[in-house]
Amino acid sequence: MTPPKPKSGLQKQVLSLYRRALRMTGTKPQATRPKFLLFFRYTFRTNAKQISPRNVSFIEHLIRKGTRQIESFEDSAVKDCWVSEEMVRWNEEWKSAAQRTRTT
Amino acid sequence: MQSLLRATRSSNFANLSHGLPKRAFSTSQRYRQATPQEKPVLMKEFKIYRWNPDEPDKKPELQSYNIDLNQTGPMILDALIKIKNEIDPTLTFRRSCREGICGSCAMNIDGQNTLACLCRIDRDGGKNTKVYPLPHMYIVKDLVPDMTQFYKQYKSIQPWLQNDNPPASGEHIQSPADRLKLDGMYECILCACCSTSCPSYWWNQDEYLGPATLMQAYRWIADSRDTAGDARKAKLQNEFSLYRCHTIFNCSRTCPKGLNPAAAIAKIKLELSSE
Repeated sequence: MTPPKPKSGLQKQVLSLYRRALRMTGTKPQATRPKFLLFFRYTFRTNAKQISPRNVSFIEHLIRKGTRQIESFEDSAVKDCWVSEEMVRWNEEWKSAAQRTRTT
Repeated sequence: MQSLLRATRSSNFANLSHGLPKRAFSTSQRYRQATPQEKPVLMKEFKIYRWNPDEPDKKPELQSYNIDLNQTGPMILDALIKIKNEIDPTLTFRRSCREGICGSCAMNIDGQNTLACLCRIDRDGGKNTKVYPLPHMYIVKDLVPDMTQFYKQYKSIQPWLQNDNPPASGEHIQSPADRLKLDGMYECILCACCSTSCPSYWWNQDEYLGPATLMQAYRWIADSRDTAGDARKAKLQNEFSLYRCHTIFNCSRTCPKGLNPAAAIAKIKLELSSE
């Protein structure tokens, strides 16, 4: 097996932002944690699927936008976030797809 | 009751009919009306930077708009508002006071950073006018730059009065001579025209504070009522915050309010070196 390709700086930036977002959900009240988790999973995963990895300037734009958003979410006064129906639907599909790959 | 009504009606009529006969403007014949003065059509092309984050596959581009200058106000902002109202509602820009006091509409017009509301339209119809967002800033959309970093830097200099022994009663007293020192600095509206025209700021935006912020830093150092001057100066005493200013003077040249940030920076340098 060949070792995995080293990650580019941009990839590392995205992953560290994702990590920061996931760590932040842990500071939120137990009841709303799944909502935050779903929000970040949905945003990161759908964007990762839709946007070409070569569109560097746009990915950089999204990183800046996401950083600003996560900064405002990190405020301890923020206790809840809104999840759209589309996100819930996406979550079910994504989970069932993950289960299928696990069983096969 | 009926007779009373009739009486009021007739008295109204009497009021109206004394003097000259009244006739609605719409019924007078056209040749009796004064000819309306029509200004000639003066078309001008505006080329405006467009970028929409919702369409990630499209690269930024200049879009042209032609408008009649004689149907527009005198300033660039009037033209932008006219374009947004009548031609393309998707055009995005910041504006608020339209009289150069809020600093929202800072943009790069024909290569010069200025406020769109204070910049007259060049009435030469043959030449186009190019409008870009502030240079070297991250763009949110079209002409809207991301000012997060700029405001963070402004916050970092603690732009408020710090005095550890406030007067027992009433306000802080200041002599007219001390007050005079603040003239030419307190007028800054933080439009970021100067900072974004500074090449030094372009290359070191993360560490160099930039002319706008430094002038405000000096505004508080120079204030006779503020006692935290030494702490403020100590904060600037490093290689980047202040000393990235190489007296390029783009800031003073571009300031739409006619202030002189370069002079303020020079004064900080003088105070720091004479300590």
